[in-house]
Amino acid sequence: MLSARDLRVTRGSRAVLDVSRVELVAGTVTAILGPNGAGKSTLLSVLAFLEAPDAGVLTLDGQEVRTRGEQRAARQRVTLVDQAPLAFRGTVVENLQWPHRARGGSGEVASTATALGIEGLLSRDARTLSGGELQRLALARALLCRPAVLLLDEPTSAGDRTASDAVEAAITQARAAGVAVALASHRLGEAYRWSDRVLGLADGKLDTVTPENLFRVVLPTGTGVKAVACGALTVHIVTDRSGAAVLAVPPEDIVLSAAPLSSSARNTFPGRVTGIVEEGAGRLSVTVDAGTILVARVTPSALRELGLTVGSPVVLSVKATAVRVL
Amino acid sequence: MDFLVEGLRRALTLLAGADPDVIGIAALSLRVAVVATLLACLIGIPTGFVLGTTRFWGRRAVLTALNTMLAFPTVVIGLLVWGLLARQGPFGGLGLLYTWWAIVVAEVVLAAPIAAALTAAAVQGVDPRVRRTALTLGAGPLRTHWAVAREARFALAAAVIVAFGRVLAEVGAVMIVGGNIRHHTRTLTTAVTLATSQGDFGLAVALGLVLLAIALTVNVLLQLFQGRDDAQRA
Repeated sequence: MLSARDLRVTRGSRAVLDVSRVELVAGTVTAILGPNGAGKSTLLSVLAFLEAPDAGVLTLDGQEVRTRGEQRAARQRVTLVDQAPLAFRGTVVENLQWPHRARGGSGEVASTATALGIEGLLSRDARTLSGGELQRLALARALLCRPAVLLLDEPTSAGDRTASDAVEAAITQARAAGVAVALASHRLGEAYRWSDRVLGLADGKLDTVTPENLFRVVLPTGTGVKAVACGALTVHIVTDRSGAAVLAVPPEDIVLSAAPLSSSARNTFPGRVTGIVEEGAGRLSVTVDAGTILVARVTPSALRELGLTVGSPVVLSVKATAVRVL
Repeated sequence: MDFLVEGLRRALTLLAGADPDVIGIAALSLRVAVVATLLACLIGIPTGFVLGTTRFWGRRAVLTALNTMLAFPTVVIGLLVWGLLARQGPFGGLGLLYTWWAIVVAEVVLAAPIAAALTAAAVQGVDPRVRRTALTLGAGPLRTHWAVAREARFALAAAVIVAFGRVLAEVGAVMIVGGNIRHHTRTLTTAVTLATSQGDFGLAVALGLVLLAIALTVNVLLQLFQGRDDAQRA
């Protein structure tokens, strides 16, 4: 659908974006995960054809987009919802009719407004909306463009629950319509919850390192404690959810010991230390191969007391209630 | 003091009796001002838009030149236009000198920089997200500019009003290129000047009151326009 190759954007002498390849595929959601200032918004601006990169090639449906005319035509098919969206002067419904006037024939205003929970706000002055309401308006307006590619920049920055539900509704609607969705976020949970694929972005560069201890799983039905296969491990968790999900085992919640503990922890995995990395601020990251790679976070004094070095045998313990379902 | 009271009394008599001379002068002034404002805005507003929304080499120099033109002595502009339209000048063949069209030309030269400078300032003040949002929604250049103009509409309306006020109040350039010919190029301002110099204080006051009434009406219309928008937003 939309792909970018060898993108480079510089500000002065500093490269704020240096990405070798990004591909957004129809009907899938790609999360771009990274801290503030990582270059997520710049990447989305380039992908939305709002900012021309200093170098690189953008391709939409196999056609290279180079000239201003081609970029203008591409913007008819790609839309972006900014982190701080803007409502035009006028009512909510006038804002929702904007895509129709700008692009010609497009979607049904009433049904989209209902899907995003703003059907009761249609006659309101759009400039009087709260942050969350404005976010929902911007999402509805973007969906009404009937885009082939939908780009969302920190869509839950407004911070309220309804805005988060609206993002989920928008993503569901877009994915079902075969739209290629890209979502920039600094929140691990929402990136994994809503996306099919996560790309890490740090200092303008795509990072292939997967965030620690995350497993894509299928949860069985039922309630209470469930045993779920995560690679070679069977992890016990407590959840009422079922179906596809992402499990996160927080590195801070893993207890390391020389021998199995007599404790309440439902998950005990023997393994061997494969790496120890100083993280600063009095923390160490210990990588353990327990059949599947797990990362634990400990203090230097705890490591010294256990006498752990690379190659040492170790036992990992995690409570079932500490494992998070994203 | 008596001559002031007498002058005011005569002015009210002239206005109440709809004196044909006063009506004729006021009508010509309005016609010239409206046409000149329209032409000045047709030139100035798009120019200001380009200056306010695009970045190009020499833009600051153009803005500085434009701002300098705002303070240009009007008699110099009158002289310049006179030179261009005089029989021996480059546009002498058009035969415009000492016609109301010559006044229009001089006033356009006066008011177009005002419209351009105020428009540039107005669109520069618009939230840059307006343009960006319009583009993300697939708007072409015209619709994007329209979105920016809509956001800046009060400032743009003010630019039109200031341009109108400028052309309506002009004396020096109008006198030079129009010649203050009765029934042809005598406007409210030049007529006031003439009447005062001839000692007809009553006529001068009557014409001055008409001038004030026009300015007041235009400003009331602008207030109503703003008030209607406020009411819609409430």
